[in-house]
Amino acid sequence: MSLRVVAADVHKSFGGVHAVRGLSLDLEEGRVVGLIGPNGSGKTTFLGVLSGALKATSGSVTLDGRRIDRLSADKVVRFGIARTHQIPRPFPEMTVRENVGVAAMFGGQHRDPQDALNEASRVLSLVGLEASADRSAGVLTAQERKRLEFARAIATRAKVLLLDEIFAGLSPDELRAAIGLFQKLQQELGFGALIVEHVMRAVFALSDRVVVIDEGRKIAEGTPQDVVRDSAVIEAYLGVDEAHAPP
Amino acid sequence: MRLPRFSPTFYGLGLVLVVLAILAPALPILSLTFLTSLLIYVALAYSINLITGLTGYVSFGHVVFMGTGGYALGYGVSALQLSPLAGVALGGAVGLVLALGIGIVTLRFRGVYFAISSLVTALAALQIVLVAPALNDGQGIVLSVGFQARSVFYSIWLIVAAEVVVTYFATHGRLGYGIRAIKSDEDAARALGIDATRLKLYVFMLSGLFAGASGALFAWFTSGVFPYVMFDLTFSLFMLAMIIVGGMGTNVGPFLGAVIVYVSYWYALTVPSLLGLAFAAIGVIVILVALLIPEGIVGTMRRHFPGLRGILE
Repeated sequence: MSLRVVAADVHKSFGGVHAVRGLSLDLEEGRVVGLIGPNGSGKTTFLGVLSGALKATSGSVTLDGRRIDRLSADKVVRFGIARTHQIPRPFPEMTVRENVGVAAMFGGQHRDPQDALNEASRVLSLVGLEASADRSAGVLTAQERKRLEFARAIATRAKVLLLDEIFAGLSPDELRAAIGLFQKLQQELGFGALIVEHVMRAVFALSDRVVVIDEGRKIAEGTPQDVVRDSAVIEAYLGVDEAHAPP
Repeated sequence: MRLPRFSPTFYGLGLVLVVLAILAPALPILSLTFLTSLLIYVALAYSINLITGLTGYVSFGHVVFMGTGGYALGYGVSALQLSPLAGVALGGAVGLVLALGIGIVTLRFRGVYFAISSLVTALAALQIVLVAPALNDGQGIVLSVGFQARSVFYSIWLIVAAEVVVTYFATHGRLGYGIRAIKSDEDAARALGIDATRLKLYVFMLSGLFAGASGALFAWFTSGVFPYVMFDLTFSLFMLAMIIVGGMGTNVGPFLGAVIVYVSYWYALTVPSLLGLAFAAIGVIVILVALLIPEGIVGTMRRHFPGLRGILE
């Protein structure tokens, strides 16, 4: 049976700031869910809660029925849920291969460092970073860093990936290539994913379902086609139609 | 688990230690004494290197483990009639347990907050020792164990040798990767499945063990424990200066740094025109290192001669 992550009525406050207000979401191995919403709507915070980096103020996250919302981030990874960071966080003192090797060693199944580094080489060739394997991670370009971040998440052998804006900042050609690569890897490896994204082309191309949030609340959910027609979504993104605006 | 291949530096350090062990019986007592106090500082430098050098958590009050270890020996030998060697073991055990207790709380703090909480534990420990009836109400404990120069030397030698081995394993293999990742970016390390809480606590406990044993040995060496000596924050500063100069988190750095700082200090003490300026001399060395080679001697060599990476580690 495939792995299933269920978030139910998750709230997260920072002092007086109520960033996530009762979000519920289902993630499943092999399925891609897009999470979109305006800046500051709580997407990254919600991803932090799912990954164990942040503790929910209330609500629950379960993995195949088991509560994981009180676990630390490293345990959540070992249960099969890995995240990337919006701003990539490579270990600049290590080589690219070592960066991925650490993920395979601790998050994945390769306890032996040499095995883990071999696995890292394999993962790097999957994402097209093999030429940079022995370079220091500190000298990578912004796009290479994003790929490295993605490679590390894959190397943990996670069944569900939480991907924070991995398609941002690409040129149209690069974006097309990246979407193709994602589809190929997803078919090959079978992972499920939550993609937090502003790049609508990627969201529409990849998502089975799209969840739209605004001010920490879900305002729409459905297939990509449904969601773009939803008036609440149009309002959140484009503002209230002037004709209906209060004087 | 497959054992990592040992690097040339590891064998180099081993060779230096073996030579010292062979030479020791032939040395005049004054030289042996000098060598022993040098090795005590080497042991302390390796101890703080395990936490501050490897993880970047600045243990400003590291002397707390040394002082507590010293008092453990003082109490054990005077009140429990332990042998000095058993006292050293007791000192190490107490240091380890204390590091466990302190670390569970303070390793949650990052950056300057950890450094300050560490400093506070050292200051608090001194105040407690000053009023503890069992520890002679802060009057200190004089030990009548005689001057056992060779036993003391070989005991500190053993501690240093153990530290070199432990440091090697903590910087290589799976554990080494985990600790390097934590030092680089703790949250990113956690996101890849590294149990940072546990790894930090492990190295902190090892650090406390060795600092406690070294402190106990210092008490044995000086035949007594006195609160303002055993908990003197100068020791903390010495330890930090040594790993800054030698190279934090490296295998040879603590050894080199301890030798350079201690010998300079010793030399400054003997020059009449530098009277009272011995500490200033160390300050000047640390400032120069921080300005010119901020990664310390070993760290800088590693950066500028990438070919040496396999050798220096």
